[in-house]
Amino acid sequence: MKLKRSLFVAMTAAPALMAVVLGGGYGLRAHQRIKSGRPDLGFVSCNHCHQKSLAKLPWAQLRPHHDSPGGMVLSPDGKRLFIALDDKDEVAEADVATLAVLRRAKVPGGPFGLALDGSGERLFVACSHVDQVAVLDTHDLAEKGRVIVGVRPTDIAFCQTRDGEHLVVTNSGSDDISVLTPSPLAEVARISGGREPYAVTVTDGGRRVYVANRMAVHDGVLATPASEVTVLDPANGHIVDRLALDSAHMAEGITAVPKKGWVLNSMIRVRNLVPITQVKDGWVMTSGLAISQADGAVTQVPLDEANAYFSDPSGVVASPDGRRAFVASGGSDVVTVVDLDWLESWLARASAAERGDAILDMAFSYHYVLARIPTGCNPKHLALSPDGSRLFVAERLDDGVLVVDSASLKPLGRIVLGDGGRDDPIRQGERVFTRARYTFQGGFDCRSCHADGHVDGLSYDFDGSGVGDNLLDNRSLCGVAGTEPFKWNGKNPTLQYQDGPRFARVLMRTDPIPDPQLDELATFILHLPPTRTVPWDQVGKPLTPAQQRGRDLFFATKRPNGTPIPRSRQCQVCHRPPLYTNRLIASVGTQGPRDPKEGFDTPHLIGVGASAPYLHDGRARTLEEIWTVYQVNDLHGVSSYWTKLQLNDMVEYLKTL
Amino acid sequence: MTPKTCAWLLLGAATFLLAACHPESTQGSVVLTQVPSGVPASRDATVLDARYPHGSRVVLLSPPFGAQSLRVLSEGLEAAGDPCVSWDGRSVYFAGKGRDGQGWQIYKVAAGGGSPERVTEAPGGAMDPAVAAHDELVYSSPVPMAGQLWTSTEAPALYGMLPGKAPRRLTFGPDGAVNSTVLRDGRVLYVSAAARDNARSQPHLCLYTVNNDGTEVTAYAGQDDGVDAVRRPRELGDGRICFLASQAYGPGSAEWAEGVRSAAPFATRANLFPFPGRGCRSVEPTPEGELLVCADTSGVAGRSMTAHAALFRVAPGAVELGAPVFDDPEWNSIEATCIAHRDGPAGHTTAVMPGASQGTILCLNANDSSDPAANGSGSPAAHLRVTAIVGAGQLRVLGSVPVAPDGSVLVRLPAGVPLGFDTLDGADRVLRHQPPVVWLQPGENRACVGCHEPRNHSPRNVRPLAVQTDPVSLVLSGTNPSP
Repeated sequence: MKLKRSLFVAMTAAPALMAVVLGGGYGLRAHQRIKSGRPDLGFVSCNHCHQKSLAKLPWAQLRPHHDSPGGMVLSPDGKRLFIALDDKDEVAEADVATLAVLRRAKVPGGPFGLALDGSGERLFVACSHVDQVAVLDTHDLAEKGRVIVGVRPTDIAFCQTRDGEHLVVTNSGSDDISVLTPSPLAEVARISGGREPYAVTVTDGGRRVYVANRMAVHDGVLATPASEVTVLDPANGHIVDRLALDSAHMAEGITAVPKKGWVLNSMIRVRNLVPITQVKDGWVMTSGLAISQADGAVTQVPLDEANAYFSDPSGVVASPDGRRAFVASGGSDVVTVVDLDWLESWLARASAAERGDAILDMAFSYHYVLARIPTGCNPKHLALSPDGSRLFVAERLDDGVLVVDSASLKPLGRIVLGDGGRDDPIRQGERVFTRARYTFQGGFDCRSCHADGHVDGLSYDFDGSGVGDNLLDNRSLCGVAGTEPFKWNGKNPTLQYQDGPRFARVLMRTDPIPDPQLDELATFILHLPPTRTVPWDQVGKPLTPAQQRGRDLFFATKRPNGTPIPRSRQCQVCHRPPLYTNRLIASVGTQGPRDPKEGFDTPHLIGVGASAPYLHDGRARTLEEIWTVYQVNDLHGVSSYWTKLQLNDMVEYLKTL
Repeated sequence: MTPKTCAWLLLGAATFLLAACHPESTQGSVVLTQVPSGVPASRDATVLDARYPHGSRVVLLSPPFGAQSLRVLSEGLEAAGDPCVSWDGRSVYFAGKGRDGQGWQIYKVAAGGGSPERVTEAPGGAMDPAVAAHDELVYSSPVPMAGQLWTSTEAPALYGMLPGKAPRRLTFGPDGAVNSTVLRDGRVLYVSAAARDNARSQPHLCLYTVNNDGTEVTAYAGQDDGVDAVRRPRELGDGRICFLASQAYGPGSAEWAEGVRSAAPFATRANLFPFPGRGCRSVEPTPEGELLVCADTSGVAGRSMTAHAALFRVAPGAVELGAPVFDDPEWNSIEATCIAHRDGPAGHTTAVMPGASQGTILCLNANDSSDPAANGSGSPAAHLRVTAIVGAGQLRVLGSVPVAPDGSVLVRLPAGVPLGFDTLDGADRVLRHQPPVVWLQPGENRACVGCHEPRNHSPRNVRPLAVQTDPVSLVLSGTNPSP
């Protein structure tokens, strides 16, 4: 009897359960197809559309802060070193003789760039997190005032001009340069720079200021990119010249060379237009130094060697006698010592063609690289004592400053700022991110293309199935948590998959990053917050009318005449908030002649205003061009009814994401 | 103290003593190749029989380097030589000739001693062992007859063999690939001949590198300079690559040590030592930054004037060879290498697709060259003609592909054969000629800046026109004509 009953229950329950499962599955799939407007869609998980709240993502969580040294400046007497600690919102003062930290001052807003006035009594601080410049009294490190500048100021220089004192500030996030008066502290001009003005140096007794722009710009995805050196007169804020560093990007260090009239830029010479069939012989990128002479001539020379690379050149300083330069290589943990006298002699006799080709000769540096000084992890900013006897190297990921005798090139000691954060997996991951030893011959590291985790504005042709058929725009890593799958073809479910064996094969040409370090790397990347694209004082403010109109367009379901917009072509369906992606493959009519497939991963739009160029191969230089040049049959959103003003509104809205 | 504690203490002491006496406790020791003095080389035998005559042996020489501190590692073999220590310092590989008729093969023995284990079964023999990442054994095979190293019709090629796996052929050049060593960046550095048209002409030996999957064969140093014969390249710890140079081929007393700087290998060839270094037999780095040198004692104060090889230790900056640290009058000490743990070389994630029959070559600009055009013509290349060596050294034309207006060429070619390239003008006259010397591995995508472009040059950042279309495919067939 019992058996019979059980059999009956089983025979009725099983079909019922099957019906529920099948029916539920069918219903679920129907729901997905209707809501996405994609009848071709197979089964996808619910969280493609029903996403986590941003507050739950890793980058929104509290994380440890570290004493990472940023910009440094020495007092005029060379006895005190001021060090910006942006992650701790502090400025530290160290005694150069004892290498002891004398005191620390709280400077809210991510103090990163430092400059002293001629007397050494006022310390000017570029606060990159809050778009402000603060002034401190060096006697007590008390803050005396603040002024708003452009977005994400990274460096500041003090100039004694013919018209009095001025400050020049590089606003990396708004692509402009602020000119300030220090007394009263006020902005008197804001000038358009190149892309991402990052570092500044003063020449010619304060008559000229040279600004290094970190990122390259180009006239199209297949055009040769160039990074700009902006030359301006700090007295009136007028642009004097815009020098082009051909195929240079990550040009984030700049210094004037006394007695030679030169300006030196650290830079990466990139070969993004050449298919990445190999790493050796500088096929992907090489480190270099750009020499800008007084007559405007620019010559690039390599810092790498024929069989070894020194990646991520960053801080650069020149000795007071103009005979030597020191360049920090953040990815290789060395400072390279350059013989400027040899280069001066060579420049005097070299033909124009020889100067133009010098950067291509990997063995050329043998002539003028005098030494490589080993440092701690990720050397970035450099400073020289006024007499040139001591070199200070900010070891950013070791929380210290290495002090080197600039004559013997031997270390003299270390200013200890923090414990290095060895227990912090995010910090450990950042070390992996900036370490070039995972690449063949140390050619480059993750940061070489993703400064601060963001983009370099270039497209690269990876070695995929063939040669020349894989041209892809470099995507930002900032804010990618929760946006998996990764890669433009959407094939990589995790960052570990993306950056592991596949990267080793197509890019690094070595063994894959070991699993523990790969996990740390993924942890670091997942904790990278989205890039801020709006000024700090506008964060959280209501949208402007133009932005609101753009938002209405973004979420529009009907045209103005009432015609419904198909769901599959509504912006907010594929770019669904809060991540502004449904993480699915979509075809928007952008398949190129050598693209193997027509569908591409739908990118998230957080911080999209700062991540030009656009589309999978970077063919659209601006957000506007997505619709004005590369829109095909309204496949990428229905934009045919937009007026020019509406397009502007849409762009204004996108820049707020 | 309880009996239990006593037992633990005794066990600990025994473990400590066993560890101390264990054959692997060899740090600071040297592996040495000894060749009996006065034994003539076998005629009509292989190059290894000539180099390591009957009775040659590989021994472990422990501090303080006396005759009593020798332990034979090649026990039971007729002859042995060319030792190579694994990166972890635990094993020694060497070429040995057993009494089983297998000829010369690679053997492996624990660094502290033991019974040698044969690890290759290469037809025609194996020689010149080196160890790449992941304990991959690299060796050359077959072993040519004496005096025919560079004229043999079956030139020795490099092979790689991972533990427990079948060997894979790495090189396919028309000339031999020998004397391999593994660089810290993971590449295999070896000796071969510079490209030449006439296989019977005197070869100019120089250094090449190849990845440990056989991809990216590249000229490393010596292609354009120096004497014709080099051998035994080794990476030193100071950014130099050293090797033995001589006027004649093969080891002998007329060799001396030279070196190049890896920072500029084509511009820095020079003598390794500031003192006369003739009679050098081998140079190897030590972990302390010194060099272990096997050299003739002829001319050394207090030694006979007859050629006799002993072991020397040369400090950085030394102005003379000094006195030998080990010298056995019954034996010539011709090769020495330290036993030490060293950081292993970088690995290489292969892109080779074993099932594929072709690879792809991208030339960025066939007109980019250091050499003037052969006919003095200034006209640009219109076509690229590809040749290959097939069968028993027969040169065949695979076909021609058009050169894009910017000089770029993208072509798919057969893998595993030596490939040569000629650029032709519009009238099919040869502008530049490259005899077959490079090859492709299956599925390999590789590129070059130009044809005879300057060494160690990186490419210009220009998008080559040739990649806008699919590559032209050239194949080997029975109908490929001779040039």
